[in-house]
Amino acid sequence: MLIFDQLRKGDRDLQLLAVGVLGGMGILLASLWYLQVISAKRYRADLQGQSFRAVRVPATRGKILDRNGHALADNRPCYNVNLYLEELRRDFFFHYTNRVKPGFVQANPKTKLTRAVTDELQRQARHQVVSNYLAHVSGVIQQPRLLLEKEFHRHYDQKRSLPLPLLTDLSFQQVAMFAEKAPNLSSLALEAQPLRVYRHKSASHASAAAHLVGHLEKYDSTNDNELATQFRLLRLPDYRGSKGIEKAFDSELRGKPGIKLVLVNSMQYRQSEEMWIEPEPGQNVVLTIDLAIQQAAERALAAYRDGASTRGAVVVMDANNGDILAAASSPAIDSNEFMSSLSPDRWAAMKDENLLPLFNRALYGTYQPGSTFKIITGLACLEAGLNPDETFQSKGYFQLRPRGRQWRDTAGEGAFNFRRAFCYSSNPYFQSNGVFRAGPQRIMEMGQRFGLGEPTGVTKNLEAKGYYPNHEDLRKKDGGRWMPGDTANLCIGQGELTVTPLQMAVLTAAVANGGKLWQPRLVARVERQESDSKHPVVEYPAGQLRGAALVNPQHLALVRQAMLDDVEYRDPLPPYRRATGYKAFVKGMRVCGKTGTAQVFDEHGQLKEYTTWFVSFAPFESPRYVVVVVIEGGGSGGGDCCPIAEVVYQALLKIDAAG
Amino acid sequence: MFEAHLNERESRIEWPLWVAIAGLMLMGSAFIFSATSTNETISLWQRFRDSTWESFLTWLIPKAYSKQVIAYGLGLFLAAAVCLVDYHRLARWSLVIYWFSILLLVLVLFIGVGAKSWGAKRWLDLGFFNFQPSEFAKLAFLLALANSLSRPVEELRLPGVFFKMLAMGALPFLLILKEPDLGSALVLLPIALVMMFVAGVPPIFLKRLVGGAGALLVLLLADILFAPMKWQPLEEYQRDRLLVYFGRDFAPPNGTDEERKSAFKRQRDRSRNIEQALISVGSGGLIGKGWGRGTQNALGYLPSAVAHNDFIFSVIAEEKGFLGSVIVLTLYTVILFTGIKIAGQTRHRLGRLLAVGVVTMLFSHVFINIGMNIRLMPVTGIPLPLLSYGGTSVLCSLIAIGILQNVYIYRRSY
Repeated sequence: MLIFDQLRKGDRDLQLLAVGVLGGMGILLASLWYLQVISAKRYRADLQGQSFRAVRVPATRGKILDRNGHALADNRPCYNVNLYLEELRRDFFFHYTNRVKPGFVQANPKTKLTRAVTDELQRQARHQVVSNYLAHVSGVIQQPRLLLEKEFHRHYDQKRSLPLPLLTDLSFQQVAMFAEKAPNLSSLALEAQPLRVYRHKSASHASAAAHLVGHLEKYDSTNDNELATQFRLLRLPDYRGSKGIEKAFDSELRGKPGIKLVLVNSMQYRQSEEMWIEPEPGQNVVLTIDLAIQQAAERALAAYRDGASTRGAVVVMDANNGDILAAASSPAIDSNEFMSSLSPDRWAAMKDENLLPLFNRALYGTYQPGSTFKIITGLACLEAGLNPDETFQSKGYFQLRPRGRQWRDTAGEGAFNFRRAFCYSSNPYFQSNGVFRAGPQRIMEMGQRFGLGEPTGVTKNLEAKGYYPNHEDLRKKDGGRWMPGDTANLCIGQGELTVTPLQMAVLTAAVANGGKLWQPRLVARVERQESDSKHPVVEYPAGQLRGAALVNPQHLALVRQAMLDDVEYRDPLPPYRRATGYKAFVKGMRVCGKTGTAQVFDEHGQLKEYTTWFVSFAPFESPRYVVVVVIEGGGSGGGDCCPIAEVVYQALLKIDAAG
Repeated sequence: MFEAHLNERESRIEWPLWVAIAGLMLMGSAFIFSATSTNETISLWQRFRDSTWESFLTWLIPKAYSKQVIAYGLGLFLAAAVCLVDYHRLARWSLVIYWFSILLLVLVLFIGVGAKSWGAKRWLDLGFFNFQPSEFAKLAFLLALANSLSRPVEELRLPGVFFKMLAMGALPFLLILKEPDLGSALVLLPIALVMMFVAGVPPIFLKRLVGGAGALLVLLLADILFAPMKWQPLEEYQRDRLLVYFGRDFAPPNGTDEERKSAFKRQRDRSRNIEQALISVGSGGLIGKGWGRGTQNALGYLPSAVAHNDFIFSVIAEEKGFLGSVIVLTLYTVILFTGIKIAGQTRHRLGRLLAVGVVTMLFSHVFINIGMNIRLMPVTGIPLPLLSYGGTSVLCSLIAIGILQNVYIYRRSY
């Protein structure tokens, strides 16, 4: 080596110089080794962090289909005009140097152009350029829109590498106008994006099965993809399910968002982009609901009184396998409304404390069953040895003790056997037999056999379970002692119990089918969106038994007969009185049912209103359909609920005839 | 070595030196091309194919890399010219050259042009290119000092002579400082020190010089880092660079929110170059991203204004990785040690001093520039010899190498 020759010569000065140079080079080499080899990973991460933006790309949401493949929740293309800011850099600069800055200097000749002033002027220039673009484009498609300065600056400061949505959700006509007349600029692009739509209507402002299907809400929360944590994450607008099936099956429906990597330059403008992780489309959820039946039930509810203020629910169930064919709740809502931001007025309307429009009464509404509970009381009495043909003399009211409380009755005085008492809904008959023959334990136990007080086990627990008294220690909800008066109340479905329409449908189905207690099914299967793959991802089998309500079949047959009477019986003697459920009579389908009217008290113990019921099944000969109707604030079960059930059965008849 | 002594027809050209120079020039043009052609959509070859000679050349010549290649050519020509005459004859003109350089330094203060961002005037506009007198002054000072130091050792012990030489250095130092260009001015210091040391100036003088300079430096730093804003000897940008280097907070401790905010913003702006240079160098890794594939420069994180000159090393380190850095350091080491070898071989004090001066000057530039790229040194405008874009720097570096070669050729003459 060159150096050693010098060192050997003993030239001290040059040796020192050589050592100095070598030392300097060594320091540089060591530092470079440390930077480029040992710390390379850290600097690469820094590089990625500053020059890549990860953009979360939502996946196409899966559809929600009815049992026949009608899309209750579908996707439609939403056309947006997007403005790519990186293409406008020249415009920004030009506008600033030729317009904004000279204008400012002319207007304020004395102000010094500090950095802060020029920054502000540049901001103004950018906003003006973009506003001009917007004015031009919105003129072309005739959709005026004002770009708020704040909104623009927020986008520019935080999401500069993403296009600015100028105009959103163009109509087809506007799309055509844009294509024809808009300037052909690289900065402007018409882009489609899938958006949720609930196409099927049951009334003018109600989407079909809105409560059951649910709706979406805008979703901007923190990062849900761990892969993207190494980047600064930007989100594209996204939604998530906020109610109903949309919420319960949100992860299946939503799919997996993809990640797009955008390379940004030092000014944060987009340079290029590539899809890093492809989004995985969501899966379709196929319901057991039949759209035609659902719409019939919703229209029937909407036709009741003025419709908009109807508080009530209809549940239609297949008696032979527990499939829920319709679950309607009123007041009706339109799930599409939630896709855009609701006005404060609409929000207030949605939150109305009396109407509770967002509340799904079919699955979550808990009510006292009223006289419909006489099915249970009757079965308990029969099991206790009640002879159904034995006649009971009713005084028109029931009293436990002389001068005690009187339970009034609409059935009136006279002699009642089981069927007559059932179809005219005689309270004294069932209370007297219930209290003195069956006793509270038997009644409570009979209700439990039919699953009262327990969740029905419907898909994803989309239900309330109500309250049913516990027979074992005969204690009340509030812990007080159980008195004979409580039993008398229980016999006619009043007092310490609540049920949901769904529970009543399951109960009625068990009566109709001879004791099979179904686990009701709402969702048939979850399947992939691609139509070619026939294999479901998850299948929820039909006809899952929760157990059998072990009741004497003869007793059930007697109750079915009594339920038929409730609709069809007419007193052969004057005044030819009809049974309570006569308004549910349908020609061509023998409907069996039980009406109910429960008193609802307010917190001061004053009668507030009535909850009216009609639980039914049809046809009598071979039961197929169960229809449960509940109306809050009705007059009587027979008068208010039976006509609604009648409309539903007419629709069922028509559907049967058609298919 | 024995064979070489006996060989009458030994080479007059120091080959390793020129191989290393050629390597650096190749890298210089290649990476200046890479650093300045990031937004080109049409390749050089396509342009050449699709246009006439004339239009191709009018497009090509103003490009930075073409100018650099022209500077290389001119520099090699000047280096060859320097070698034509014995350096002893050259040294006789050293005082003329020195005073000419001083004239230029004075001139630049009046009619100089410069970077508009901080108002430093460092260049003379010669029409076809901007000439940087401070680069030339370093070379002129080196020549004059070598000439002055080559007198008999006994004379060097006289304080008068020492002070005369000190004054000779102080004049260009102050003029360059006035431009202002603190970095270039400070480079004069090691050159002078090392040359005096090798020449045999009594250590006591040198100790005092070092002590004085050191004390001044400490005072300066203490003032910058701890004194309030009111009295500052340096330009604001110089102070900021030192604050960045020492990792100090810009914000005045008891300033208002507004002041703190603007100070914070300034700090971010000032530290940007060096932070981005570090990311460039570090992210290059072992083998780099490949020539022309550095993203730091292409995306503008490493500002395009500095990527091809002061921060060219970052570009090389990013695109060629640690391997590229080692190659660069190796090439410089070859040049520096060849210089030391030449210094050892020559029989004349003048030749020895010239060689030592050139080696020190080149080494200072390399160390400061690369050191600044990796945050070992504060940011200054010191170019990387032969690699950084800049005509004056290239010409002066090649002339200095020419002097080295000259010393080698006439090492045995009497």
